[in-house]
Amino acid sequence: MRIPCPFCGNRDTQEFVYRGDASPTRPDTDEAMHDYVYLRDNVAGPMREHWYHAQGCRNWIVVTRDTRTHEIISAEFPR
Amino acid sequence: MAEPFTITEHTNLALATIMARKGVDPAAIEAALADTQLIPTGPGTWLAVSYCDPPPYPGEGRGPVPTPDLDPGLRRDTLKDLASVSDQSGGYIVYRFSGPAARTLLQRGAFIDLHPSVFGPGSSAVTVIAHIGVILWQADDDTSFDVALFRSFAGSFRHWVEASANAHDRHPDESRDPWDPQV
Ligand SMILES: [Zn+2]
Repeated sequence: MRIPCPFCGNRDTQEFVYRGDASPTRPDTDEAMHDYVYLRDNVAGPMREHWYHAQGCRNWIVVTRDTRTHEIISAEFPR
Repeated sequence: MAEPFTITEHTNLALATIMARKGVDPAAIEAALADTQLIPTGPGTWLAVSYCDPPPYPGEGRGPVPTPDLDPGLRRDTLKDLASVSDQSGGYIVYRFSGPAARTLLQRGAFIDLHPSVFGPGSSAVTVIAHIGVILWQADDDTSFDVALFRSFAGSFRHWVEASANAHDRHPDESRDPWDPQV
């Protein structure tokens, strides 16, 4: 699989570190912290996920990928 | 590999990483360092390369202590308030690959397209060769490339160079060793 890094261009996944779902945000309450840390949806379809281009530009990238087909819908810097 | 290439270590380079400070327009940094070769390594980050005579770390066993008089183009004063500068002259080793087979050899290691139509003079990339992180760029002409990697990986990298040069279709009549180190 190739990841289209917004800075470097198309690169092999070997250059990246995968972190997973990009949607959880840090909660304000301790009660919600367990779910934030441990619970993840098992998405079948398009999913926003974090990839770190460790062996390239050393930036985090938000990749929208269809988990059923590996189609990459978009890849952008988080901000 | 029917046609030869040469590999040479650059010994007269002053190197530094340049990282833009928050909110600084990258163009301002490129303008401030207009006379210095800048290899883009990420958004707002560069590897600055400049020739330095005498070498910043002369001779063997170049140590980790930064020299106070890097090339003027890399001096921190130039970039005060614009960017952070870290001396890398001892951290990276830079090899020059030259010759008709240089591009082919590097293509055997890098998972990016090095065809001249997409990787020509001025092109650069931060990528991996043989699991070793490299910054590579095409030097002036069509057959010369510079490859920067962390100095402590030099032995492993040279092993990859040797293995790759010897593993493929070396011409039986080739009188000269295609891997011809000129260090
Ligand atoms: Zn990248």
